Amino acid sequence: MEKELFSTLPVPTWRWLGVNEVYLPEELQTLPTPVRKIQIDVPAGQHVTQVIANRTEQRTEITAHVAEGGTLQMVQLQLLPPDKAGTCNVEVTAEKDAQVYYTTAEIGASRVLAQVKIDLAGDGSKADMAALYFGDGTRSIDLNYVITQTGKKTEANMQVRGALQDSAAKIFRGTLDFKAGSKDSTGREKEEVVLLNEGIRNRSVPLMLSAEEDVNGQHAVSAGRLDNSRLFYLMSRGLDEKEARKLVVGALFATVLERVPDAELREKISREVEERIEHGQR
Amino acid sequence: MAETLLEIHDLHAGAADREILKGIDLTIQKGEVHVILGPNGSGKSTLMNVIMGHPGYQVTEGSLTFEGKDITALKTFERARAGIFLSFQTPEEIPGITVENMLRTARQAITGKRERIFGFRKELKEMMEELQIDPSYSERYLNVGFSGGEKKRNEILQLLMLRPKLALLDETDSGLDVDAVQIVSRGVSKFHNADNACLIITHNARILDKLKVDRVHVLLQGRIVEEGGPELVDQINRDGFGHIKETTE
Amino acid sequence: MEQQKTFVEDIERTLYDIRNEDHSVYKTERGLTEEIIRDISRQKKDPAWMLDFRLQSLEKYYRIPLPVWGPDISELNMDDIVTYVRPGGKMAGNWQEVPEEIKATFDRLGIPEAERTSLSGVGAQYDSEVVYHRVQKELSDQGVIYTDFETAVHEYEDIVKEYFMKLVPPKDHKFAALHGAVWSGGSFVYVPEGMHVDIPLQSYFRLNAAGAGQFEHTLIICEKNSSLHFIEGCSAPRYNVTNLHAGCVELYVKEGARLRYSTIENWSRNMMNLNTKRALVEKDGLIEWVSGSFGSHVSCLYPSSILHGENARCEFTGVTFASRGQDLDTGATVVMLAPNTSANINTRTISKSGGAATYRSAVKVTPGAKGAKCLVNCESLLLDEKSRSDTLPVMDIETDDVEIGHEAKIGRISDEAIFYLTSRGIAEEEAQAMIVRGFVEPVAKALPLEYAVEMNNLINMELVGSMG
Repeated sequence: MEKELFSTLPVPTWRWLGVNEVYLPEELQTLPTPVRKIQIDVPAGQHVTQVIANRTEQRTEITAHVAEGGTLQMVQLQLLPPDKAGTCNVEVTAEKDAQVYYTTAEIGASRVLAQVKIDLAGDGSKADMAALYFGDGTRSIDLNYVITQTGKKTEANMQVRGALQDSAAKIFRGTLDFKAGSKDSTGREKEEVVLLNEGIRNRSVPLMLSAEEDVNGQHAVSAGRLDNSRLFYLMSRGLDEKEARKLVVGALFATVLERVPDAELREKISREVEERIEHGQR
Repeated sequence: MAETLLEIHDLHAGAADREILKGIDLTIQKGEVHVILGPNGSGKSTLMNVIMGHPGYQVTEGSLTFEGKDITALKTFERARAGIFLSFQTPEEIPGITVENMLRTARQAITGKRERIFGFRKELKEMMEELQIDPSYSERYLNVGFSGGEKKRNEILQLLMLRPKLALLDETDSGLDVDAVQIVSRGVSKFHNADNACLIITHNARILDKLKVDRVHVLLQGRIVEEGGPELVDQINRDGFGHIKETTE
Repeated sequence: MEQQKTFVEDIERTLYDIRNEDHSVYKTERGLTEEIIRDISRQKKDPAWMLDFRLQSLEKYYRIPLPVWGPDISELNMDDIVTYVRPGGKMAGNWQEVPEEIKATFDRLGIPEAERTSLSGVGAQYDSEVVYHRVQKELSDQGVIYTDFETAVHEYEDIVKEYFMKLVPPKDHKFAALHGAVWSGGSFVYVPEGMHVDIPLQSYFRLNAAGAGQFEHTLIICEKNSSLHFIEGCSAPRYNVTNLHAGCVELYVKEGARLRYSTIENWSRNMMNLNTKRALVEKDGLIEWVSGSFGSHVSCLYPSSILHGENARCEFTGVTFASRGQDLDTGATVVMLAPNTSANINTRTISKSGGAATYRSAVKVTPGAKGAKCLVNCESLLLDEKSRSDTLPVMDIETDDVEIGHEAKIGRISDEAIFYLTSRGIAEEEAQAMIVRGFVEPVAKALPLEYAVEMNNLINMELVGSMG
């Protein structure tokens, strides 16, 4: 059976790194899985909030269109059971002066593939993305986020926070693409990943593409263990190492989680992450 | 007989179709020290930038005359060569260009003469000592990694090395501790003599301690609304701009 | 507000564009066949193992497909490349013996002058063959070997056999295979244990014949606790046909040794520069790359450092300047295999007049590389709206005990920086040039003075500013 391509790096690089493309997980292909499709239309000047807490749907496709001056606030939480694979594909187009606030958390599933593409098509449009992922056990996480800046005076911000433990593996591809004519646009991208033990595999691929001179783009990645001095500080206040880790990872995730409007959901995700740091994956 | 250095006549200027300066008249003679006071957003920094020829602002009406010559259409570097200097409120960080390299290039550009490396270096070293700047800073990249106070002292170092005729000091004393204000103030008084002039924006009268202020202008919403002698500085430090606002509104 | 535009004129190339008539005594047929390989091997009086190596490489070359990533190299037709061009005259150890015309070329480029003033040894390659090679007697007396590669194959056969294309095996990629089949010329350097070569060695590569390829092989071995600075310069005159450069550089940095490898590359704008450079660094060793890419039509160049021993280090400093008609894809790769290895990668790219510059890198940290540290900083400057600049780094980390940081910026010269400098009396053109020079300063600083001057000459910018 021919493998079905799920997503590709916008510009390919060396094959040996294995980051150029990702195919649909076999289990979703051999047992054809229905695709849940969600269409969101934000009318001009309107504000729409959409929260999706996904515990069952293995394949999701979301398309959204934000008309002039509209605001879309979308929260997409992946909470699938730990023995299921899942994919999620999101495409958003933002017209003039439209704003997109996209928040996502990748918490569950055995293997997850997520793609988010935001096109800042209109002048003055803005995308503010915050994502977190927690990989433990043998979980494999594959993320491909792309913000395309086509309009003038667009603003992109992609903040990604993650933690990996046990033998989890993750690939994060994050692209800021300044198209010709996207004058006076800015783009920021940052991934911070905390590596909690040996045996993990972390691949980070931040791309910045520019065909326009009058832009200001920056991206950064930092990867490493928990800051020892911070751990020491907390432990000197009486926390044991696991408690300290929970606290530090919790702080790392807090800026993403606080964008989730539902307090109960926020609490549930924090608790689940803490428990899995404490006891390993259930 | 005093010679006129800068004459601003009915100056209207702004940025992106918004008028900020709405008819400024100001004359500065050689040997004088002028102070501009005004609340935030009154147009003080804009006035400094327009005198220096910042390409982000357009003059829509009026004129600027320097030593009898109309400089309204001159570019920034031509104004600098004519003898105008701006001490920036937030000096730019420019990696890869050392303080010494920039200063020598600038001085050669202004005087049109080649600078001898050793003589120049000696003079630079003396000035840095005067301003209590560590000598290693001459080899550092322009303002890169400098603290706020170091940047301001570096501006005064440039003032002393380039010896302009008119120094525009835009809040050169803001964000400095008491000692640093003293150093900067000494630097400015060292610069000032009968052949040159200073135009100073300040929120902190201490920088004026070592200078004899000739004229004070109060700027409000792009217009000079009150003028007077040095006593105006004390009065505004004491009472704020409240009474002026009331009388103009 | 009127936009202020910056125009940076093309690099002054006239010096490099003087071409000589093609007086080569021997040329292979166009294209690549086994017969040609046997022919080259015969001409070079290769030992039998080398002929076998070439033929096996050719097999691989046929099999391996072109890369699927990177710049478009479809215009490269291997059948049109004359792989082997031998200039007239023999290799000389005395500058006076070098044929007049070739000598004049190198004289213009300042090569023997550089030797007189500041180098321990010089090699010069013209098309496929090394025409001049010389090393200071004091050095050769102490066991330092610096010679052309053909001589090395015969005189130091055992060493060559042990190291040749072990670091860059022909199966690596199509152009490595090509190189294995047709390599010709290049330099061989051997620095014995504990020996410090204080003054740089330099090789200069010049491609004169139209439609030719240059496939020089550079092999440097720095034994334990030795040190060396090696400089490589490249240029070619401009022709309307495509030239190909597929050289290969293999550097062995043994325990506690330090090697600095500096390159200023200024191939003409019809050159496909598909070069492979790799260093293997043992315990406490240090490889420093200084890489300036200014010329060529297309470049794919990513010097790679394999940090094999504990505490092995890599410092990479690169500047790439892409102008009209250029697609320069440059960067670095680092593979960290041992504990406490570290790497610093610092690059600057500039694009103008429709040029495209890409920074591409890979940092791989294997499970055994506990305590590894890697910092990457790349900045890109776009000087006009016709040009493009892309940044494509990959980090692949397989252990937790690491500190990995990557930062990149892309943008234009800030109007405020220009205003600041012009407010000090500096004219706009000069202010822009100062900012561009300041931008590449990290590389200029890492170069010996003469090369820093050469680089500044290369960026001999005539800036034509226009204030709206």
